[in-house]
Amino acid sequence: MKKLLIIMVAAILTVAPIFANGAKEAAPVADDNGPKTITVWCWDPAFNIPVMEEAGRRYTEAHPEVTFNIVEMAKADVEQKIQTILASGTKDGLPDICLVEDYNVQKYVTYYPGSFVDLSDDFNFDDFSDYKTSIGSVDGGQYSFPFDSGVAGLFYRTDMLKEAGITAADLENITWDEFCDLGEKYTAKTGKFFLAGDPSDGGFFRMMLQSSGKWYFDEDGNVDVKNNEALAKAIEIYKRMYNESFRKPTSGWTEWVSAINTGDVPTITTGIWIMGSIRQAEDQSGLWDVAPVPRLDVPGSVNASNLGGSSWCVLENGQQKNEAIEFLQETFASDADFYQTILVNQGAVGSYKAAITGSAYSANNEFFSNKPIFETMGQWSTQIPMVNVGLFTYDADAAVMANVQDYYDGKATLEETLDKIDSQLRNAML
Amino acid sequence: MATELKRKKVGWYFITPVGILLGIFLLYPIFYSLYLTLTSTRGTLTQFTGLANYRKLFSDPSFFKALKNTFRILFLQVPLMLVLALIFAAMLNSKKLKFRGFFRTAIFLPSVTSLIAYTILFKMLFAYDGLVNSTLIKIHLLDAPIAWMQAPGTATFVLILAMIWRWTGYNMIFYLSAMQNISGDLYEAASIDGASSSQGFFKITLPLLKPMILFTTVMSTIGTLQLFDEPMNFSAGGTTASMVGPDNCFLTLSVYIYNLCFKYTPKFGYAATVSYAILIIVAILTIIQFRVSEDSDVRLERKMAKAIKRGN
Repeated sequence: MKKLLIIMVAAILTVAPIFANGAKEAAPVADDNGPKTITVWCWDPAFNIPVMEEAGRRYTEAHPEVTFNIVEMAKADVEQKIQTILASGTKDGLPDICLVEDYNVQKYVTYYPGSFVDLSDDFNFDDFSDYKTSIGSVDGGQYSFPFDSGVAGLFYRTDMLKEAGITAADLENITWDEFCDLGEKYTAKTGKFFLAGDPSDGGFFRMMLQSSGKWYFDEDGNVDVKNNEALAKAIEIYKRMYNESFRKPTSGWTEWVSAINTGDVPTITTGIWIMGSIRQAEDQSGLWDVAPVPRLDVPGSVNASNLGGSSWCVLENGQQKNEAIEFLQETFASDADFYQTILVNQGAVGSYKAAITGSAYSANNEFFSNKPIFETMGQWSTQIPMVNVGLFTYDADAAVMANVQDYYDGKATLEETLDKIDSQLRNAML
Repeated sequence: MATELKRKKVGWYFITPVGILLGIFLLYPIFYSLYLTLTSTRGTLTQFTGLANYRKLFSDPSFFKALKNTFRILFLQVPLMLVLALIFAAMLNSKKLKFRGFFRTAIFLPSVTSLIAYTILFKMLFAYDGLVNSTLIKIHLLDAPIAWMQAPGTATFVLILAMIWRWTGYNMIFYLSAMQNISGDLYEAASIDGASSSQGFFKITLPLLKPMILFTTVMSTIGTLQLFDEPMNFSAGGTTASMVGPDNCFLTLSVYIYNLCFKYTPKFGYAATVSYAILIIVAILTIIQFRVSEDSDVRLERKMAKAIKRGN
């Protein structure tokens, strides 16, 4: 019997540590005046991390008892980790604030109900760009706090385009077809590529769709593919870019950015967050300028769009929920001076309307032909059409990209391609 | 009899701790994910849907694309790798070879590198302005650089090449250790009977290596069906990438499961269904491999029996 006892005790000791974690949940809530630490998860060490550090520094100055733990992870890791914790139902290990890509906000809020804080009563969301706040509104609640704008622009090298006789006026308010014509002209004259791109990157699709106020879904979240004129036109443009010789084939972010930094290509059309990467090539200072993003040749399309961008979400079960909200109120929601600082240091363009009139925004930018490009792009950002990104943007993206190859290769008509995308997307949404 | 029973009991006590752990971490997840396949679980919202996930599986073009890609890699990479491993092992087992220790280490070394590191390295080598292109141009084999990672065919080629580089040494070690267990007497006897060295390889080495060949085939098949790290890293890095490699050529079943959980709208129920599909495929393939090897065992026995009879 004694032996049996020993064995049982050994068994319990082996297994006990596994359950020990359960006991921690009863940990006392930090009292109001003691030291507090706000935990933040974000991903870009050149962008949103230093921005958060700056905001944290400012808040700690005013409230010395609050410190910040800013955790750097790859974007995919943030997405995986937050979903794993939320799905498991545990309350341990969650951050107080998490950066969420705009296309993901609605689906997280919908599929992890009760996990994110409804912020509608804590902030005046009229202070922010409409297209940014609409990202996080679900069933009348507002679950995301707008951070960076992804206002798009056509960034270009003035000196390189001059070689082909292309002037700034040629790039103003053009369509994507005209953009491709310019590409052909440039490549024919100089023998160089006009832009760099990865054909498996669906970013251009979203940029083109949003400029037309369209998405893969209508306002009610229903699939809008078969009769979506903007999508059909965008696929045609992609085919042109895919097949013709003015595109330098690159794969992934690093090769894409190095194509502009080494002067291989004269243009890059994307969100404003690319500016930090453009400025890495210090020898190109003064040679860059920006034009409005091309529009699609369909009714209702404008020369303003958005690509990417992200928002801050506050976790319902974070340790310092209330303090985290107060922190956002005092920094991101009211401190126009803060926005000037992060603009100068990180090139981060917020979506806080009052900040766009600040001195850093109207200052001439030496790198970009000595023009006030932040003010210009800030104005474009107010013209971006609103779209409902819905719950299935990445499913839709995957369905589109999986079926366009046959169209590029001439194996399927545009109509057949749209039909296939439509049925694959509907199956994915089941 | 009583002590016998008692002894058996004590045995059970000894395996109880492990049994409990296996129950929690192995059996429970297996049955829970089986239950998940019968639900539509999105995030924390869950609903019993019966066999809807299985119906969806059979009309899901992405699933079939992933299945096709996985099998393409399996049928090209595994046989090539195992044959290479066998050749290397036979060469390194030769007593005439100088610097054997060095070559063994050199060929085995790739398998201790991290999966992430070596995929990134291969990606850099085969970049548009990478080392491979610039070398091929310099020695005038190419006029213009090839966009290796942009076309499904060449991208799959690079993936398979990388996997062969990484895993051949690992399999070679198994063969080498098995070869060293084959007694030298056999080869000596064969050579006295007038067998050439290639006959020695095909008639002695290969048959005696059979259990090891079966083992490595089964392990490599399972490993390839669960292939995740390499295609994930080869395709990573796109800011807003919507495809897994050009024309989705890196979309393997495991990558698809990951995307279903974390990239697309979180569909845990459906992701569990796809993993059960992998389980079933692995089971079928393993049974086939065992059958094939069993058959040839039987055939061998029959042959030997005949030979003995004839000898008499």
